[in-house]
Amino acid sequence: MRAWIEIGKETGAEEQMAEDLIIGMAGSGGDGIVSAGEALVSAAASEGFHAMMTKSFGSQIRGGESSCRVRLSIRRLHNPGGVLDVAVALNWEDFLRFGAELPVGGDTVVIYEEATGVAPHEIPLPGVLPREVFAVPIDALAKEAMGTDKAKTSVVLGLLAGWFDIAPAGILRGMAKRWGKKGPEVLSGNEKAFALGQRYAAEHPLAVARKLSRPPDERVGKQLLLDGNDMCAAAAIFAGCEVFGGYPITPSTEVMQFLTREIWKYGGAVLQAEDEIASIGVAVGASYAGKKAMTATSGPGMSLKTEILGLASLAELPLVLLNVQRGGPSTGSPTKPEQSDLFQAAFSAHGDVLRPILAPTTVADTFRVTVEAFNLAEHYQTPVIILSDQEIAQRKETVEPIEFSRFDVLSRREPAGAELEHYRRFLLTESGISPISHPGMVGGNYLAAGIEHNEHGDPTVSGKMHALMNEKRFRKLAPLERRHDLFEIVGPADAPLGLVSWGSNAGVCREAMELARARGLQVKLLVPTLIYPVAREVYEGFFASVEAGLVVEQSHQGQLYRILRMYVDVPRGVTSLARSGANPFQPAEVAAKLAELALGLQVRHGRQAQE
Amino acid sequence: MTTVALGPKDFKSELKPIWCPGCGDFGVLQALYRALSGIGRAPHEIAFVSGIGCSSRIPGYTTAYGFNTVHGRALPIAQGIKLARPELLVLVAGGDGDGFSIGGGHVAHAVRRNFDLTYLVMDNQIYGLTKGQLSPTSPHGLETATSPYGSLEDPVNPLAYVLSYGAGFVAQGTPADMPGLAKIVEEAIRYPGFAFVNIQSPCVTYGQEVQQMKVHKATMKTLASVGHDQTDRIAAMRLAQDYGKALYTGVFYRNPEPPPTFEALVRERQTAQGERPAREKILDRYLQRAT
Repeated sequence: MRAWIEIGKETGAEEQMAEDLIIGMAGSGGDGIVSAGEALVSAAASEGFHAMMTKSFGSQIRGGESSCRVRLSIRRLHNPGGVLDVAVALNWEDFLRFGAELPVGGDTVVIYEEATGVAPHEIPLPGVLPREVFAVPIDALAKEAMGTDKAKTSVVLGLLAGWFDIAPAGILRGMAKRWGKKGPEVLSGNEKAFALGQRYAAEHPLAVARKLSRPPDERVGKQLLLDGNDMCAAAAIFAGCEVFGGYPITPSTEVMQFLTREIWKYGGAVLQAEDEIASIGVAVGASYAGKKAMTATSGPGMSLKTEILGLASLAELPLVLLNVQRGGPSTGSPTKPEQSDLFQAAFSAHGDVLRPILAPTTVADTFRVTVEAFNLAEHYQTPVIILSDQEIAQRKETVEPIEFSRFDVLSRREPAGAELEHYRRFLLTESGISPISHPGMVGGNYLAAGIEHNEHGDPTVSGKMHALMNEKRFRKLAPLERRHDLFEIVGPADAPLGLVSWGSNAGVCREAMELARARGLQVKLLVPTLIYPVAREVYEGFFASVEAGLVVEQSHQGQLYRILRMYVDVPRGVTSLARSGANPFQPAEVAAKLAELALGLQVRHGRQAQE
Repeated sequence: MTTVALGPKDFKSELKPIWCPGCGDFGVLQALYRALSGIGRAPHEIAFVSGIGCSSRIPGYTTAYGFNTVHGRALPIAQGIKLARPELLVLVAGGDGDGFSIGGGHVAHAVRRNFDLTYLVMDNQIYGLTKGQLSPTSPHGLETATSPYGSLEDPVNPLAYVLSYGAGFVAQGTPADMPGLAKIVEEAIRYPGFAFVNIQSPCVTYGQEVQQMKVHKATMKTLASVGHDQTDRIAAMRLAQDYGKALYTGVFYRNPEPPPTFEALVRERQTAQGERPAREKILDRYLQRAT
């Protein structure tokens, strides 16, 4: 694990190589702190580091506070990490606004703007005085290099490259690309600022040098770097999505922006509709017309789309709906992640409806999940909801090139031959899947409707037919619960401690499990891609050995935990570890909970032995 | 596209309409069969979309592909169909509540996007399916189940509404003149762009006395008979002010130079992109090169 920050770290060494570095930076909106993070992450990615970057803002469009967190490692990353190894504050007011998003510990190297006038031993971090604190004249160095404070971020990059040996060549390449366009003076000014930052670092060495280890050469220049929204949109194109109906809403809008740049060349189209309702209407219309279609939104938009989602279920039309979750209800915290739309996705329906819900856990995973969503939608003729969240959607992450040949792309079952002679659109088949035609197909004419229908599609008010059709619509989705490949189980099968987590929090739990196992705890982890319907067999198999455990998620109610309890005999020792969004769980925190649970098990077993 | 000799009967399905005997919508349906036989597109090349209401049942009574959707959302869904398959003939139908109350927000955008759609509103100034409540086109003072002391609101003027957003084809008809209505509907379908026909279609059960077939027959007046120039949008707007007072039939406005449709612009954009790349190339731009 990380070389110096974890509990039990060695101290006093003159120099340690870091395998993992977490940098948090904050400033006011105009400071360019996010651009600095992007430059850093892009340079590190090109040099083969595993890298991850999350951004966090106030909800102001300009100005206000902005921050980013960059994690670099020679190992595969599962989450943006907990306590910072390096904190950069361009001013303290903005830095402190991020609270738990940028936690500082005693081992954090703190770098801040000297012009704030705050003395190093008086920095306003409650409850902690880190050992290495540097008040750097960032603003003054920028002015020295370029005459304005515009080059502040280049100074910061120089400091980081100098102290931690982070990809200086890559940073300079990135600067040439970015500033070269603005003319030679701008570029040379920024290069000078970068050099001044590096020089400052060299003249003020850390008490414990912390140079980042080099990643293996085979990854140099071979990684992709992108966020979950772009990944989702790219996967939609790969899966053959031809029509996207959308309406801008944070934090999902980038999906529409990507598609509207790219989809035309694949023969598709994007329509930015007048509202959320119309945008799903456009997608449902396109699907009825036989094309793969998608819409994307976030919580409030999902509420508006719900009625037409019901129509797609009853008319058995394939549709992919992405909900990038943010803090709710209502406008809530639109720029922060939360996992609190699960009840909405599963249950916000009129009538008896089952809609598959899938959740990606990382940017890379978003590709697989999106392709799977299109496949399920087309195969089962149903809307499928992808529940992403703001963190995955907007964090940038290094991803190994996708092996496209590993992915099947499915299409809907169209009627052929004799089926078209006496075509029955909603034919009651054993699988529950009926042949689906589309306008333009000779002999396939039928009436699709929101009203209950018979096998031909003709409206009916027969209670018997309604029951048969309900049964059919649930029957066709029953095989989903046996899709063991939509669940990942890590750790020994007989472990008495169990973790369940989904979405972006799954990455926290992966690392928590590694920490716990390194301390000898017998723990395993279940990460579902298929969130709903609940695959009872899978959970019961997983829980068979589990005496104590946690369902970890970012919502006030612990929504997955509660849904599991509706369908699964969850062991009594398994409880919910849940809290509202924008207060991310940290691996060490989850690991500590597991240690407590292990201790509790020993107490319980001891008592049982005495009795 | 296949053009074949088809009679009105080829568009009639086996479903029996749920409408009350004497409902104006029967006449609309007859007019539509006739218009479609005049157009000559085969039923499988037609997608007929509707919302919710008595009149929204109409797609099921034709042999075309039908989509009886949800209340007020027929237009966005129809646009999705046209976007996906521009070669289809796409018809949209609904009532005044569907089009100008719950779905009113979509009309402006359907008009300004200018897909080649034909939107038929069966306007009876009342909610019939829910048994006689106030509609957005009910006249001020009308007593209904939800306005027992008379409506306090002024009605929407569908003709002026659609005209003001710039629709290229705006007409009005009544099943009291079925052949005339068939001609108007056929013309609307032939117009290459968004075409709107307000059809004054009487509700025999809950409609006003003055909105019955007999009265329509006695009062309707063709726009041609008042010397209206259908290329004159301002004159059309002036005549549209008489909505609710006079029953004009015919074409209020027809853009003599129809602008390109949305789907034509989409095709243009798709073609301009040149050769279709392999889908596997979609992530190439994210590669972090080391040079």
